Amino acid sequence: MEIKTEQFVETAKRELKNPNSRIFLNLLPVVLSSLRELAMETFPDPDAAQEMGGIIRGEALARLPELLETFEKNASAAGAKIYWAKDSQAANEYILNLVLENQAGYITKGKSMVTEEMGLNELMIKNGIEVWETDLGEFIAQLLARPPFHIVGPAVNVPVDQIRDVFMEKIGLDKPTTDPVELGYAARRFLRDKFHEMKIGVTGVNFAVAETGTIINVENEGNIRFNKSSPKIQVSVMTIEKVIPDMKDAMHLLRLLCRNCTGQHIGSYVTMDTGPKKEDEIDGPEELHIIILDNGRSQIFQDTQTREVLRCIRCGGCLNICPVYGMIGGYPYGWAYSGPMGQLLAPLLLGLNRCHDHIWACTSCQACKVNCPAGIDHPGLLLYLRNKEVEGDSSLKAVPPAWTESLSYKVFSRIASNPMLWRLTSKLMRPVINRGAKDGKLKKGPGPLADWLKGRDFPEMPEKTFHERWSELKRS
Amino acid sequence: MTKSTKDELLNRLKDAQTGKIPARIDLPPPFENALSKEELIEKFTNKLIEQEGVVYRTNNQTGTLEKLAQILAQEGVKKAMAAEDDVVKPLDLPAWGKHQGIEITTQFDYKNRESFKESIFNQVDAGITGADFAIAESGTLALVHDKYQARLISLAPILHIAVVPVERVVPVYESVTEKVYQGDNTPSQLTLITGPSMTADIQGIMFKGMHGPRRLIVILMD
Amino acid sequence: MKTVSLFIPCLVDLFLPDIGEATVTLLRKLGIDTIYHDGQTCCGQPAFHAGRRLETVQLAKRFVEIFETDEAIVCPSGTCVLMVKKHYPDLFADQPEWLERAKNLADRVYELSQFIVDVLGIEDVGASFEGKVAYHESCQLSRGLGVVEQPKKLIQATAGAELVPLQNASVCCGFGGHFSFNYPEISEALVKEKADHFMSSEADVLVLSEPGCYLNINGYLSRHHPGSKVMHIANFLTGSG
Repeated sequence: MEIKTEQFVETAKRELKNPNSRIFLNLLPVVLSSLRELAMETFPDPDAAQEMGGIIRGEALARLPELLETFEKNASAAGAKIYWAKDSQAANEYILNLVLENQAGYITKGKSMVTEEMGLNELMIKNGIEVWETDLGEFIAQLLARPPFHIVGPAVNVPVDQIRDVFMEKIGLDKPTTDPVELGYAARRFLRDKFHEMKIGVTGVNFAVAETGTIINVENEGNIRFNKSSPKIQVSVMTIEKVIPDMKDAMHLLRLLCRNCTGQHIGSYVTMDTGPKKEDEIDGPEELHIIILDNGRSQIFQDTQTREVLRCIRCGGCLNICPVYGMIGGYPYGWAYSGPMGQLLAPLLLGLNRCHDHIWACTSCQACKVNCPAGIDHPGLLLYLRNKEVEGDSSLKAVPPAWTESLSYKVFSRIASNPMLWRLTSKLMRPVINRGAKDGKLKKGPGPLADWLKGRDFPEMPEKTFHERWSELKRS
Repeated sequence: MTKSTKDELLNRLKDAQTGKIPARIDLPPPFENALSKEELIEKFTNKLIEQEGVVYRTNNQTGTLEKLAQILAQEGVKKAMAAEDDVVKPLDLPAWGKHQGIEITTQFDYKNRESFKESIFNQVDAGITGADFAIAESGTLALVHDKYQARLISLAPILHIAVVPVERVVPVYESVTEKVYQGDNTPSQLTLITGPSMTADIQGIMFKGMHGPRRLIVILMD
Repeated sequence: MKTVSLFIPCLVDLFLPDIGEATVTLLRKLGIDTIYHDGQTCCGQPAFHAGRRLETVQLAKRFVEIFETDEAIVCPSGTCVLMVKKHYPDLFADQPEWLERAKNLADRVYELSQFIVDVLGIEDVGASFEGKVAYHESCQLSRGLGVVEQPKKLIQATAGAELVPLQNASVCCGFGGHFSFNYPEISEALVKEKADHFMSSEADVLVLSEPGCYLNINGYLSRHHPGSKVMHIANFLTGSG
């Protein structure tokens, strides 16, 4: 996937006018949010259950190195091969070597955001290895070469005639149809042969349980199960923060994940692997490779503030509730992760220099924070990152804003620190701002006001400020 | 190479300022813990039906086989594969199938993985399994995979039929994990199945049978 | 409590002084005297949201110095109250002396409707309004401070007023301070939706408790639905503006 995080504004402007996106953005978040609320009611105390999610994630991070070691020990004892990958390149090369050694020819993937983050597909294709996304939405997005529109429905916005056309062009759909179900079955037939013949299946990981060395995946379609059942080699990629203490915690987070993601009580399939298949089993992988990927996270972990971002369990609940996402959809974020969680993950993983708009395109409305089952304060962390950008923090690859902007805040705080100057400035600003006012309203204005005023009025500065009125008010 | 990556990574994590472990809170027990056996069965059934699973209840093995015959006829099944788990094996389905005119094999009929896969992917119309648990909380089947419970039988065929003794209905997920993950005999895979496979990835239109079974039929056996 | 100290947001001071005046009128009507420290300018919220911690700290210290001896501080904006109550302590995390002073102050800062309902224990302020009222739940007030019911109670106790449901009442109006200037298209799409919901609520007035939301929603309605009415709750309860 090409990283297009820098094109946020132009893509957002385009998507605001895209009727295909609008239909789903008007619908999907509303539907998913109300399903979520219903599903949360199955907890005797929904608020406490949600709070417990944050507590578990908090503990998992506080104990991260210890839990990773325990997980490795237990997973290895069960026969899994653990590979610690410093970065995407190391992880990708490890998988490429497996493919080459085993003459696999192609790999199939269960839906996994982390392999998107790694750019696994690009490396495989460069080396002449076919990659097949097997989640229907990811499969369509892959054929169309688009980033995911939504973490749950990566291609839910794509009109059926576009799917028909790309299926005819790329997977040999013979009978043209625009029936969603028929299109789905066409993908089923096409991918079924891939599942049958596959030598290597690649998946992500939802939770890694330290206590038992078990990896857990949640899905609805069955594609991840095929990736874990059919091939002789299974590669599951987990990032370091996926590890949690024990099975009890896993079950609680599983409930929260499904409820906050799709409003389901549980996905159709949950698979929990402890090591590869046993000697006497006829299916399942003979080799289970678990890649534990860092890719910058241990650095994110260093700072106790940015560490908070690693709480995320990728439920996508924050997308459904975010007013900005609800207007622009997933494309403007330009990468695997969108919405509030993407606004935090992308800048930390790619650098603030490539994700300027991610940290600014937020109204701080706090809806995501209130709904997060992992206890993340997204708006608060975005403010933290804004400050890092302003300071030009090099570890986050921040590009500080123009000196003129910095100067303007210095001037502002100087003026606001001196009441006399504040009053004087407001007096001097009045005629400047009010130039072009009509009936007490500004219709056109200078600088940053210009775009605002395209669709909205702004009040003119009144004759007297509150301060000036106070002397009369005081007496009355 | 990888060792040094690991040490480097873990050292970096250990060197970082330790976070405080937040205190746990007490959660009220799940609703299911207060249910009677019969209420649990009812909840399991209702929850599974919500997911478009089909549930039948039978009194004994004979009743189960009668129901099975009916289902296989209705669904037009000519060839099926059965697991060899402790629920299905006693029914001796391969022999029973012969009387019914249905070819029922088990994984032990196949020389190797490849011929097993060829059959389960391309030849059989249904997979028949038992289940280790049925979880009332969400209408979920739990299958412990081992030598007798191959993974693909409940996944690759378009129809999955599961036979579940009623005493295996339990309240919540933890009822399963506490049993399965105690001691050393951890299974290579535990699968939770809730309804047929599904998707809503095209235009939000939900349909069953995306990659796995389109139909899931559960026979609850007393 | 007989006297409170007025915390007037800079936006109110410079652009929306009617809201400040109505706040004074309302409090006086309830028997509360107001004092106004005329050294106050801006609490630093806009700078803080722009990532300007250094500049914000400077303004926060001023604010603390000006207000810290007051018994109760009342402000017609949830955003500014949240700034002082929550973000000041964050800002001073590594300056123990200031942290102590900020925390001390935080407990005595109230948003207007919160003060009237929770502290004074008054719901009926003797206001009247003939017609249907829709209420917009501003983000910082509702999710930030947890103040949702207080303003609604004040509206419901208003003679002649009928509080009617507003679809997506708690969804952001798209203001977000500099957000609305940096991303005007997205912001406008959001405020359009808010305006549409208000229009279809068939209410006679949209009441809110946040000067920023007022600026945004009123600005949009004034351009696209002239004649429709938006009021800050202080104005609504005093029948002014």
